[in-house]
Amino acid sequence: MQSDIERYEQFALDPTAYGVPDREELVGYRIWDTHYHGFWNYTDPIKQHQEMMQYVRRMGIERILAIDLGGTLQRPLIATPFGDPIKALLEKEKDHLSGIITIDPGYPDQSCEKMTEWIANGPCVGIKYVGGNQLGVTCQHPNNDQIIRYAAELGAVIYIHTWIKTGGDPRHPGGANLKGESTPMDVAVLAKRFPDISLICGHAGGDWELGIRAIRSCENVLLEFSGADPQSGSVDLAVKELGADRIVWGGHGPSRSYATELAKVLDASLSHDDRMKIFGRNYRRLAESIFRKKGWSITV
Amino acid sequence: MDRRKFISHSLQTTAALALSGPVLAAGQHPEHETALLRGDEPEIIDTNINLFEWPFRTLKYGTSTRSLIEKLRRHRITQAWAGSFEALFSKNIDLVNSRLVEACQKDGKGMLIPFGTVNPSWPDWEEDLRRCHEVHRMVGIRIYPIYQMIDLSDPLFTKLFHAVSERGMILQIVGDLEDARHLHPIVEVRPMSFEPLLALLKERPQARVQLLHWNGRMGQKLLNQLVQETSVSLDISRLESNGAVGRLIEGKPWGGSATPVPVDRILFGSHAPYFPVEAAVLRLFESPLTREQMTAIMHRNAENFLKKS
Repeated sequence: MQSDIERYEQFALDPTAYGVPDREELVGYRIWDTHYHGFWNYTDPIKQHQEMMQYVRRMGIERILAIDLGGTLQRPLIATPFGDPIKALLEKEKDHLSGIITIDPGYPDQSCEKMTEWIANGPCVGIKYVGGNQLGVTCQHPNNDQIIRYAAELGAVIYIHTWIKTGGDPRHPGGANLKGESTPMDVAVLAKRFPDISLICGHAGGDWELGIRAIRSCENVLLEFSGADPQSGSVDLAVKELGADRIVWGGHGPSRSYATELAKVLDASLSHDDRMKIFGRNYRRLAESIFRKKGWSITV
Repeated sequence: MDRRKFISHSLQTTAALALSGPVLAAGQHPEHETALLRGDEPEIIDTNINLFEWPFRTLKYGTSTRSLIEKLRRHRITQAWAGSFEALFSKNIDLVNSRLVEACQKDGKGMLIPFGTVNPSWPDWEEDLRRCHEVHRMVGIRIYPIYQMIDLSDPLFTKLFHAVSERGMILQIVGDLEDARHLHPIVEVRPMSFEPLLALLKERPQARVQLLHWNGRMGQKLLNQLVQETSVSLDISRLESNGAVGRLIEGKPWGGSATPVPVDRILFGSHAPYFPVEAAVLRLFESPLTREQMTAIMHRNAENFLKKS
């Protein structure tokens, strides 16, 4: 009788016969899933994470970065009952699991307090601006300056959820965005205030054709593609306009599939080295400083 | 079934049902393409591709049928059911269908099966359907309701549904072509629900209906009902979530439970060239499926679906 681990780590057919990587090749890419929602479950996040790990292992992912810790996406600064168990898990599974906390630019002081607890004095390595907030404050508002400065001091990775909703009402680019939901144009404004600090523009701006344009002049902004449908040619355009050094990869599971997110990169006409940059190396470069500060080993 | 037998069998089936173009016999693939099909693994029938230009962007593999064919073959797809992006906004539906058939014949290398379209919003659509069946010898049609203004609860759709079924043709219904958040601001697509299919399929259970890119317009309750009460088939092009195919079969969506979908109701569909072909292929590997399940989804279910005429 096959164990669950065996079942999840074997493919019934040879993927290379279908023009996609086998597990060995996936492992060789050293993939960091920098947009992991395995704990995004307010009933039993630990159980969901454990179930998710079956797919993480199956698809050869080297490290996952849980991107929504220490609150909920709706209330980023309100602690949940799962904070301590998740902190313990981050310690126990630190060989393959890292954490990013949610912050809210509507409340910069409280955001910085949370960063002290979870990053300076805790196990996490970065911050995430979630998609929208109560006070309608986007990432370009002056409130953000103290958050960005503190993140830089800690060496924390800065991820900003962005979307430009071109469909929906009112019918103009970004018209249907949520209150406080940043666009890549907001990121560009912020990036110009902090040209020496790297920022990740999340979800490729939703509409990647517009998102890429919005940030291409900001050398300190990287693009992350997760959480939207796979559209053929999207990564090709990003590499053409931004270069392969400015793209990072995320899985966005469990709501998205690794199939979807891997396909975006595999569809692109890239060298093996560029694939390795996008799948993990670029992010490791961003995270190297905080990993070393925490005394963790990291090979970029 | 080995690869040679599969090709032979599926192409015989195709030839019997859709004489719209020359089909290659077993072993007649061009040598350089055969070389791409390593090993003896089962091949894939892709039930959801579209030809010609996507109206809003030049797609990487959408500029020529030949480049799309080459892309499909690199992923072991040896037969593809092709609709046309020109169906979305055209009023001259017969021209759309004629161009589709011509492209399949001229550049399809024997692997494209044309699925023309019919838009009951335009007058005399019955003639378009007749031509699809009797002139172009199509095995099925594909409709795009949110672009073609087709309301599945409208009597016109009911009439179309029965007319297609009476001809023994397959009806493919496309839920979406892209995420509503990505629509061009100038475009306002129509709302659409699959719910009316429940009554229609119960009334005519032998009708062959496949839903493509359906997930965005299907709640769990309706999916459960369609699975339990009808024989509708589903493609996998936009099955999202980790392990989505396996979880659909097991009735285990993330954070809930559902009626398990029998594997024989699931057909491979890539939605190429809009989506990367890799996404649909990898969906099969992301779930811990058995060889039997993968083979069923890759081609056997599509073959059986075609044969039920």
